[in-house]
Amino acid sequence: MSTGKRNWTVSMREKSAELFSLDTWLPTELPEYATGFMYTLGSLTASSFVILLISGIIMAANGPQWWTISALGFFLRGVHFWSVQAFFFFMILHLLRVFFSGAWRGGRERTWLLGTLALLIAIPTAFTGYLVRGDFYSQWNAVQAKDGLNALGLAWFNTLNAGQMYGLHVIVFPFILGGIIAMHIAMIRIKGVVPPYPSDRERAAQLHEEGGRSHVPSAH
Amino acid sequence: MYHPRTDVTHKYHYVPVDFLKHLFSTTVVVAVIASVLSAVFHEPVRPALKIQTYAAAHPRTFESVALDALNGTGSVANYGPPYNNGTGSLQDVVQKWVGILHPVNAKVVFVLRPLSQAAHLDPSLQTALTAFNQASPSQQAAWETAYGNGLSHAVKHGSSISLPPGNYGPVSVMMNDMLHLGQSGLLSGALNRTPADYQFDNQNALLFLQGRPLQNEAGKLELQGGQWGIIHEERAPYPGPWWMTIVTAIYQIPYIANASAADAMALGSGMVLFVIMMFAPWIPILNRLPRYLGVHRLIWREYYKTHPLHEQAAVAERGVES
Repeated sequence: MSTGKRNWTVSMREKSAELFSLDTWLPTELPEYATGFMYTLGSLTASSFVILLISGIIMAANGPQWWTISALGFFLRGVHFWSVQAFFFFMILHLLRVFFSGAWRGGRERTWLLGTLALLIAIPTAFTGYLVRGDFYSQWNAVQAKDGLNALGLAWFNTLNAGQMYGLHVIVFPFILGGIIAMHIAMIRIKGVVPPYPSDRERAAQLHEEGGRSHVPSAH
Repeated sequence: MYHPRTDVTHKYHYVPVDFLKHLFSTTVVVAVIASVLSAVFHEPVRPALKIQTYAAAHPRTFESVALDALNGTGSVANYGPPYNNGTGSLQDVVQKWVGILHPVNAKVVFVLRPLSQAAHLDPSLQTALTAFNQASPSQQAAWETAYGNGLSHAVKHGSSISLPPGNYGPVSVMMNDMLHLGQSGLLSGALNRTPADYQFDNQNALLFLQGRPLQNEAGKLELQGGQWGIIHEERAPYPGPWWMTIVTAIYQIPYIANASAADAMALGSGMVLFVIMMFAPWIPILNRLPRYLGVHRLIWREYYKTHPLHEQAAVAERGVES
């Protein structure tokens, strides 16, 4: 029971209550402007990530060379390959949509930041996957990529070490990426989808209302 | 005062949705698309380049690669950090600071150690290795130079080569056995041995191949850096990792491509561009750009039909309508 005094536990309880609420994760209504195909792109990106996780977990459970010697493994490897193409395809379309919407407006800067961070982490996540395919592409890009990483002082990330790349690809990067995607989605739900730009009249009224206020008010 | 942070409408209402059904539908759509594409087109696969097949098809180049490792002129022998103290691929001070994380003495790791393992099966090779190791550095260099000259006049007979007579010393036996070891398929195993019993690291076999063997093969497939290589799939028209297009494009700028620190500059400038995108909400002008580009009118076309964007701003002077 709250005593009214703020401490870490009280703060965590308050934040968690919102973060894990049904309203956050299972909404029954959305703003009128947030419907239609343009608003399916983020969901399609998240769905692609789910298919990547499912196909990836099955492949990982069977060992790191199963997909080169079994028909089912080869099929799943194809599903994984085309899912990553879908993931980036929908993610880039989603990125374009949110950029042209000015999606950081109304106190949504961190939502944008988390989304772009997801793209940044997705790149080495996918690249380490290419490096454990075990074909000519893996060999060639392992030796090509090492020079840039070595030059930037990132030699620890040894693209020639298939064991290290495998570990990074199947657990480290997906874990980080999944966490960032989850936070991104939670922020979208808590802050809401960015509303359209206001009409000239509404915008002028907002400016008029603010009058001589010196600070920039938060919209949330 | 205007700030993009406050530039949002408050005039909208909510509509009922079935969120779970929406998520289920998008997941089924992606699963079906990926499954159909996998069943019809599979994933592109071009078999890895094996030392065994390369040694059989290109015996002269193979011996040349091995000789360069032995005499210290190969690309890995003189690479620099993180492999050794060379300077051939040392691009900046950060690379030097990080130091030798993955030590590779090409002469020992690529040639002398595999040959000493093979010598257990071939006593004549042990004799040649002993002679080489007991010779002075200048004598070793003289044999290596002579063998290099001989290689440039070597004649290929199928998977073997013959050199004109010369003062090659034990290097002739060593290189000949190196070729046999490569063609046997045992060299990659010898290269990838680490102190651990289980082997997960194929660094040394890839470093052995990284020069002419992989470069020549990649050039034929238009996969080299100057050919926008990293974003290609080796089997056109399959899509490659096209999401790395911006960094690959930076590599095509002559000023960067020809720089001694090309990799550091390309990756570094790609990262700077990415950081600008990440912090766009806080960058003046950039954070207001979408309003003036006007694409949002298309995105919210339906919304703006009922909530026109351009209304008389003068109304504000008379007060705010709710």
